[in-house]
Amino acid sequence: MTTLESVVGTLRRSSARSSAARYAVHAFFAGAAWVLLVVIAARLTPLEQWVRVAEYGIPVAFALAAAMWIAGRPSPMKLMRNADLRLGLNERLSTAWERRTADGPLDASLQRDALAHAARARLSSAYPLAVRRRELLLTGAIAVAAAALILLPNPMSAVIAQRHADQTAQRHAAATISTTQKKLAAKPSPPPVDPKVQQILQDTETKVAGAPNPRQALQSITPAEQQLLQLSDPQTPARASTASNLAASLSTTAAGQNASQALNASPAKGAQSIRQLASQLQSLTPEQRAEIAKALANAAQHAQDPQMASTLQQASSALARGDLSAASQSLNSLAGQLESLQQQENSDQEIASAINGLEAARQQLASQADRDAGGSQSTSAGGTSGAGASPSSGPGNGSGNSGSGNNQGTGTGTGNGSGAGNGGTGGVGNSGSGAGSGQGAAGTERVYVPGQPLPSESESDPTPLGPGQDVPMTPLTQVIQQYQQAALDVTGQSLIPGSERDLIRQYFSSLGETAQ
Amino acid sequence: MIAEEPQIDPARVTELTQALETELARLIVGQKELVRDTVIALIGGGHMLLEGVPGLGKTVLVRSLGQALQLKFARIQFTPDLMPADIVGTNVIREDRGKREFQYQAGPLFANLVLADEVNRATPKTQSALLEAMQERTVTVGTETRTLPVPFFVLATQNPIELEGTYPLPEAQLDRFFFKALVPFPDERELLEIARRTTGASIPELKAVAGADEILAAQQVAREVPIAEHVLAYAGKLVTSTHPERTELESVKRYVRFGASPRGLQTLVLASKVRALLEGRYNVAFDDLIAVAHPALRHRIFLQFEAEADDVTADQLIDEILEKTDKAKAGA
Repeated sequence: MTTLESVVGTLRRSSARSSAARYAVHAFFAGAAWVLLVVIAARLTPLEQWVRVAEYGIPVAFALAAAMWIAGRPSPMKLMRNADLRLGLNERLSTAWERRTADGPLDASLQRDALAHAARARLSSAYPLAVRRRELLLTGAIAVAAAALILLPNPMSAVIAQRHADQTAQRHAAATISTTQKKLAAKPSPPPVDPKVQQILQDTETKVAGAPNPRQALQSITPAEQQLLQLSDPQTPARASTASNLAASLSTTAAGQNASQALNASPAKGAQSIRQLASQLQSLTPEQRAEIAKALANAAQHAQDPQMASTLQQASSALARGDLSAASQSLNSLAGQLESLQQQENSDQEIASAINGLEAARQQLASQADRDAGGSQSTSAGGTSGAGASPSSGPGNGSGNSGSGNNQGTGTGTGNGSGAGNGGTGGVGNSGSGAGSGQGAAGTERVYVPGQPLPSESESDPTPLGPGQDVPMTPLTQVIQQYQQAALDVTGQSLIPGSERDLIRQYFSSLGETAQ
Repeated sequence: MIAEEPQIDPARVTELTQALETELARLIVGQKELVRDTVIALIGGGHMLLEGVPGLGKTVLVRSLGQALQLKFARIQFTPDLMPADIVGTNVIREDRGKREFQYQAGPLFANLVLADEVNRATPKTQSALLEAMQERTVTVGTETRTLPVPFFVLATQNPIELEGTYPLPEAQLDRFFFKALVPFPDERELLEIARRTTGASIPELKAVAGADEILAAQQVAREVPIAEHVLAYAGKLVTSTHPERTELESVKRYVRFGASPRGLQTLVLASKVRALLEGRYNVAFDDLIAVAHPALRHRIFLQFEAEADDVTADQLIDEILEKTDKAKAGA
């Protein structure tokens, strides 16, 4: 040992070794404590990335310890002072180091004395390679506890799995809505309501995707469906019924056969045919005009739309009195109304498609919400439809287009929830715009409930008494729509969660299936 | 600026002081701490106040010191009627060849080692004369100021009992003493040894180990002993801790009226330097400060009445200060 610098070097190495061991234990302790903390937190709250968070904490703990180790390196003076205190050198080294550049009368003696004592001392023992046993034991205990908690089953795993399933369901539901939106946008001649429908679907998709859980996502479906329904014209069924009646009436005339067939095909084609008929009135025989006038009068008599009834009546009267110009004008006006009807039906079809898309999304969300709530309710709706001949309950388009064409089409749009009413009142098959689980052909079994028949409904149906009862019975088919509407109103006004609303609708839908 | 080279080797100072201690121990039984403190005060250039009951060897100590150092020794017994002129000297009329003139007749203070026995029995006027001489190392008689011989070392004693009719030294004058040492009563073994040594046919004669010049040189060397900043900070912390308004110790806040003066810190450092030399070191250590803290500070800490009521002494407070002051944190 020749110089104070070499003493400092020796002490520095000893100090670095000693503090490295100490900081390593600190790092182990911090890492183990971090892992334990994360594991405990993962058992109290659903932390999806807890493994990664715990893994990241360990190198961070070591990096922090290393940084502190580097930052905490003692100065040479500090090394000397500690060595003095720990080796009992009576401040020789620190004083000599402090005065290493001084030139006092005793400084040389002091330095010699300090170096002599340093040479006799074991400098490395000033910084022994030792760790605190208590900290070491505590670190071990924490590590064992963390390992045990990692190995034991975590109750939050199910919650995380459910959350994943929720997110997947919401993603799928949003994708379904998006697909519907794209399909509607791909149509070559979108109806006038298209931008509004697109906006509603877009908003709903955003809400569904951003909802915290399927239950919340479901709550955005019903308002969207109601907004879509508000876009449809309530007079469309009546006008469609009137057009159908007109087709039936014209089919009995020789001159109106073509117009009848065209009307049965579509209102647009019917309008074109009616315009042709108007232009051909001059060439018709008086008998043919009389037949047409009679058919128009008959159609006007059964028309449910007042405007079309008036136009039909004007055309009929004009033909009857031989005013071909007025008759032609009225028929052209009727053709315009039919074209308007075609547009309305197109809009309703788009709205129905949109609602169908929303219903499909609802089904996905409702299933997941039911699973979240316990997974027992998801099958309850399907179970009640066993009485129907066609228990299909998918979200398919209402089978309105399968109407029989005799004003009594059974394939109505008595869909779930929001679709109720449309098409159901008149039984006009091709106007069914109801969404949801429209049923195919009804079963032969009839279900009756106590009560009076509705004044506007099937007077031809008997109202038999129930077995052993003296109350008149009403076919369920006549009141199911009212039931559904009432249920819909109640669920819309009360604070019922979305999945439960869906359950209620499914229940009434299944009642409808049973009734058919 | 290059420091002036000491006239003697520091190792020689160590030898000298150790030889002095050894020589004194031949005559004085036990009282090692007292002897050590006395040597430190002598080399430190200060004066010492001894407190102890009569018959404990205070006079023997000073006389022995005089013998061992070949220094002129004087003893003054302080009494209430002792006048300043009795100790500093006075001008007397002397006739020489028919001509009368005033001639100064030196008092007993003109010695190297002065024992002021029972200093608290003299009036404050006489005490002041002594203490002024201790501080200034000169005396003024009439219009003439005279320098006292060097080295000049006063060893005053006071009796802790029989306080009736005494004039306790005021705080300002106590502060002028370098050390205040307590002379303990010897234990039984030491008592028997005293009896053996002092009742025999011969009393051991001390041989001189050094002279005035060597003492002066040793005083100069002692002042050159370096002290590290953190050690000095520790000394400052010790002194600061004696002040009730600056300390964190509840006992000091409660029992102390005034803490040690800056002169206390000077004494602490200087005495530590001397002790370092006595220990054969060339630097001041924490141990030196701790060793000299009691004699350096005990008469500079002025206690409240509450301390007396609770039987708390300055030494107990110093012990607590030493215990609670962290050496490792000093100067950090």
